[in-house]
Amino acid sequence: MTESSEGQKVADQDNHTLETHTRPDGLALRLLPYIDKYGILIVIFVMVAVLYVTQPDVFLSWRNITNIFKQTAVNAMLSIGMFLAILTAGIDLSIGSVMMLGMMSAGVAQFAGMPWPIVLILAPLAGMGAGLVNGIGITKLRMPHPFIMTLGMLFMARGLGNLISGGVPLTGFPDAIRFLGSYQIPLGEYDGTRFNLPVALVLTIVVYIAFSLMLKHTVLGRRIYAIGGNPEAARVSGINVDAVLITVYGICGFMAGIGGLLLIGRTSSAFPTAGTGAELEAIAACIIGGASFFGGRGTVLGVFGGVIVMGLIKNGLNLNNVSVFYQQILIGAIIVIAVFLDVLRREIGTRK
Amino acid sequence: MRRLPGLVSIFALTMTASIATVSAETIVVSMKGPGAGNPFWAAVEAGAKAMGAERGVDVIVLAPPTESDVASQISQIEDQLAKGIDGLVLAPTDPTALAPVVNEAIADGVPVVFIDTIGSNAGVTFIGTDNQAGAALASEFICNGVPSGSDVAILTGIVTQSTGKARADGSREGLTACGMNIVAEQTGEWDRAKGLNVMENIITGNPNIVAVFASNDNMALGAAEALKSAGVLDDVLLVGFDANPDAADSILAGEMTATIAQNPVNMGRFGVESVLKLAAGETLDPVIDTGTVLVTSDNAADFQ
Repeated sequence: MTESSEGQKVADQDNHTLETHTRPDGLALRLLPYIDKYGILIVIFVMVAVLYVTQPDVFLSWRNITNIFKQTAVNAMLSIGMFLAILTAGIDLSIGSVMMLGMMSAGVAQFAGMPWPIVLILAPLAGMGAGLVNGIGITKLRMPHPFIMTLGMLFMARGLGNLISGGVPLTGFPDAIRFLGSYQIPLGEYDGTRFNLPVALVLTIVVYIAFSLMLKHTVLGRRIYAIGGNPEAARVSGINVDAVLITVYGICGFMAGIGGLLLIGRTSSAFPTAGTGAELEAIAACIIGGASFFGGRGTVLGVFGGVIVMGLIKNGLNLNNVSVFYQQILIGAIIVIAVFLDVLRREIGTRK
Repeated sequence: MRRLPGLVSIFALTMTASIATVSAETIVVSMKGPGAGNPFWAAVEAGAKAMGAERGVDVIVLAPPTESDVASQISQIEDQLAKGIDGLVLAPTDPTALAPVVNEAIADGVPVVFIDTIGSNAGVTFIGTDNQAGAALASEFICNGVPSGSDVAILTGIVTQSTGKARADGSREGLTACGMNIVAEQTGEWDRAKGLNVMENIITGNPNIVAVFASNDNMALGAAEALKSAGVLDDVLLVGFDANPDAADSILAGEMTATIAQNPVNMGRFGVESVLKLAAGETLDPVIDTGTVLVTSDNAADFQ
């Protein structure tokens, strides 16, 4: 657009612009697929470089690196579920509360003396139950937008969680329950430093690979993308849209329950304020990672990148003793910038 | 690509604006909420920083964006532990949820004390308000203000919480000891509207009440409304707890009679001082009282 003239603007409006793009646009167009796929990695690389310069002794220490993954694991679980909802051009505002409901369900079962495998499975099951209710509400009750059903669930799940727990923290979970969120696999000792691998990081990687495979190589995955791209076309082509949506919100709730297990592991506590605002962090991670609110576009790798960017911001500012208020401002700014990049991408992409 | 620098420069600016200076000893004070907007935490921060300056140590004050953001507080402490610190002064947003990270600090050899809210880790010193002593102070004020044998009432907080129980116990013992006739002891669950409702019910059944102790200012302010509508506010001695700015206004307006102030500056001061003592190999008492002060119309202006 640097050479754009009056004539070209007119041409733009008339949609006769086939051969008028200038060199920078041509370059941008050719780079576009790579920026789409790997732009988030560039952002992460630059952030890592900046953080390394400000905290050379600490930032790349094994302990700090594992800290970042421990701190982001809960958001990673919530974000991947949220990503499915966003792929279908929907949203799930309830996952923070659903996570808390899952934690409280596990807590109540724990203190009722149930065996640990049942306690362990109850958190994701309770989450999935809430998620399925969301899905059924969105499809069968014909809610005008998933926003409304899941906003309702945001209140219902937290209320129910407080109801079953009596609104008090339930604490003191056995190691078997805390394994996912707190255990560190010892890798050995080198040069006086102990190297441990958090189970939460292993779980994150396994879950993300599984979601990536599911989205790319299964019928369900392709249908999720199809519904997000064009729900009417999907319906006409014989896809049972309702069944797919109910599954998506069920998975979203299930992952919130898994996130709850990780938080129980980290804190040894199911507490009433758990997950407050967590849904917004998950939405932020998806957007920063390039998922489109119009549905049908975004990658698992991008979401992972978004989660890591959010974790790096917090970790980096904490290490540099910057007030949390800057974290909020910065995350907000990055969301806006990420979406602006998406807007530019669309403009370049449509100007063939 | 060409648009990335914008993002990067925001990040780099924030970072470079804040590179910490390296010094011998670094004490981290992790509060429940930010000092901005909450005079209580601002006072804790001021006390901690003042003690840090006196002792020549770096004091880093951190807080999650809200008092319910438990996960942020844990992450902040983990990040500081990774940097290596010489002491941790902690007001836990959730006493049990913070226990694992406190254990991590202890395993690192970092001395830890709790301020304001006692945590669940055994053997860690708690520095804060002796709520029972504070409630006793309020009772003493009531005992001096009304004749022995008078009808009085107590509004309790949530007594399953340690603070609620301590304030209820302290006031009950104090008022009984000077011969007051406690006609009602009911909970307003720390809430202003519930304090109002409970007070309405109490005066309906006990019109001769001359003094009320409410376990926090919110309930006292609610009770003041109930007493006002019953037309007896001027005849009743009404004492709260916390000395929040609304209560100070109410005292100066002649509605509430008194309240009890905690001493958050001392929490910050004693907190930093105590971890330095631990670092020097000294031992601490399990509980250190930061003291309470009676607030009446004489000194309420200091708390507005």
